[in-house]
Amino acid sequence: MEETLAVRKLDRLGVVLVTTGVVATALLPFIYVKANRIAAGKPMLLTQLLNQPSALILTILLLATAFAVLFLQNALLRLVVATLCFAALLATIGFAASAFTPPNSNAARMTPGGGFWVLFAVIGLVVSDALVKIKLTPWMRIAALVAYTGLLGIFLASGLLDDLSIMKEFATRSAQFWTEAVAHLLLALGSLAIAIVIGLPLGILCFWVPKLRAVVLQGLSLIQTIPSLALFGILMLPLGYLATHVPAAASIGIRGIGAAPALIALVLYSLLPIVANTVVGLQGVDPSVRDAAAGMGLTRRQILTGIDLPLAFPVILTGIRIVLVQAIGLVTVAALIGGGGFGIFIFQGLGQTAMDLVLLGAVPTVFFAFSSAVILDAVIDSIRGSAA
Amino acid sequence: MLKKFALAVTLSAFAAGAAHAADVVVSSKIDTEGTLLGNVIVLALNANGIKTQDRVALGTTPVLRKAITSGEIDIYPEYTGNAGFFFNKADDAAWKNLEQGYELAKKLDYDANKIVWLTPSPANNTWALAVRNDVAGPNNLKTMSDFGKWVAGGGAAKLVASAEFVNSAGALPAFQTTYGFTLKPDQEIVLSGGDTAATIKAAADQTNGANTAMVYGTDGAIQAAELTVLEDDKNVQQVYAPTAIIREEVLKANPKIEEVLAPIFKSLSADELRKLNGKIQVDGEPAKSVAEGYLKEKGFLK
Repeated sequence: MEETLAVRKLDRLGVVLVTTGVVATALLPFIYVKANRIAAGKPMLLTQLLNQPSALILTILLLATAFAVLFLQNALLRLVVATLCFAALLATIGFAASAFTPPNSNAARMTPGGGFWVLFAVIGLVVSDALVKIKLTPWMRIAALVAYTGLLGIFLASGLLDDLSIMKEFATRSAQFWTEAVAHLLLALGSLAIAIVIGLPLGILCFWVPKLRAVVLQGLSLIQTIPSLALFGILMLPLGYLATHVPAAASIGIRGIGAAPALIALVLYSLLPIVANTVVGLQGVDPSVRDAAAGMGLTRRQILTGIDLPLAFPVILTGIRIVLVQAIGLVTVAALIGGGGFGIFIFQGLGQTAMDLVLLGAVPTVFFAFSSAVILDAVIDSIRGSAA
Repeated sequence: MLKKFALAVTLSAFAAGAAHAADVVVSSKIDTEGTLLGNVIVLALNANGIKTQDRVALGTTPVLRKAITSGEIDIYPEYTGNAGFFFNKADDAAWKNLEQGYELAKKLDYDANKIVWLTPSPANNTWALAVRNDVAGPNNLKTMSDFGKWVAGGGAAKLVASAEFVNSAGALPAFQTTYGFTLKPDQEIVLSGGDTAATIKAAADQTNGANTAMVYGTDGAIQAAELTVLEDDKNVQQVYAPTAIIREEVLKANPKIEEVLAPIFKSLSADELRKLNGKIQVDGEPAKSVAEGYLKEKGFLK
């Protein structure tokens, strides 16, 4: 009787997650032990590490998480178990890396394998599913992001993960890492800010003048179809010309290479979502509200700032969210034209077949994109919530 | 508020790119050897009292060319053979000889752009074939002539190379004609976009039975992968010797640069470069500390 009840209540997402986790643990290597950066490496399954206490604890916690996901209804309980499991996963990979690193070797690399990454993703999904079920307020979601980032930060600061391949790459480049991080964020946020300053008025204009709308939106769509590297390349020519022939332009930093072409290309890509969402947002405003406002004697400008923009704001913000996440990813390509950013590590790593170095560029990029998506989603929801 | 923020962000982003006019802007390509040589130049100039601005690992070759011809960077390491492509003279026989290729590159670039080619390194980072040590040893393979005789006599070579290497007339076909051997289709593994990092890995892991790889002469992974580079004893390939190139204007302002860099580049033989590239690529040491270690070891840096 009880069993049929349990089976009926089986969470469908839970079944998929548990199956994925079990298959990945059984078949995919948890860690690769490599003599150096480019050696093939010896794959080790989690089951081959069970002589280590942390791996044993992890296995028990993985089973507990699987049980919780399949049978427990209480989301808070699931969250606690999954969070413990998450911590155990990080601790285990750190201990395993230290255990396999030969003493006094700088060349050896311990790279997390597919098994680790799948478990990382599965546990991450269990945690976020539990957080959704708890129905956190938007601000609590940001607090949760900060808390989990803090947890990760504690692990990184503790030195427990220092023998891991990515951290070894980080250790030899720590100063450069932070320079590139700042360059990356400046390019992404700077292009977003410029795109808002240009895109918002352009969107309002397009809403007012339907003839302009078709031309502008089609033109911006066309830009979106140009591959990013090609657009960077195209911009190098006119900017280089400008820099050599107009001294004033060169003195404020406009150059054919570096940050300027990257920034301009990113702004061009960012315009379409902002302009399009501004138009859609304004179109969504009920015309009768606007009529009523006009009837009360409000000027066109007062209607725009007092009625149209506040009502359209959540939709516009959705466009901004798309742009920010897109820009954080696109900035990586800027490394090829001297713009800096995490792309430096990605392209150097690809050139040296050093996947650990590629990860040093890719993982923070994904983290920034993910965090900014969570934060802006929370902001959008809180505005929608307070408006409703 | 938002506008102010935008302006501040933009200005600071631009400021990061702006240079001090007097400093020598040192740059390099983004690849391993480029980053190494770029750091060598920065360290050597700094040690001799020449102020530099570090823009090492800037981008790909076209980006560097554009940057130096427009005056955005002052000095970077280039390869003699590449000049053939810059000036649309890739078919000139001079590129197959280090001295002649260097003289031709020097003349072409000075006449067209007032860019000076300084003393080249005696290394050659060109296309070559490398054979697994456990194949090269028993069969006594040291040069391409040895390899040609071995394959023509039925040697079981299996080459992994890029489509470009197999198909372009100057690469594998030229090797086959000059050294008198022919690889059968089942002796070739062609990777469409393959770079040497992938081919070396394939030969090292014996993927699909590969025992010979297309390499660049100074690839850092060759030694760790236990491969032997075969000497191109009949000069089939163009020579790609690393050379620091500098804008004349900047060299005139800092004439010392030539004498500082000449002995350093002369000391960078193919063996040295392979070893140094290997430290960066295989052991994962940062290019800057590898460059510093080399300069100290050779007494160029105190």
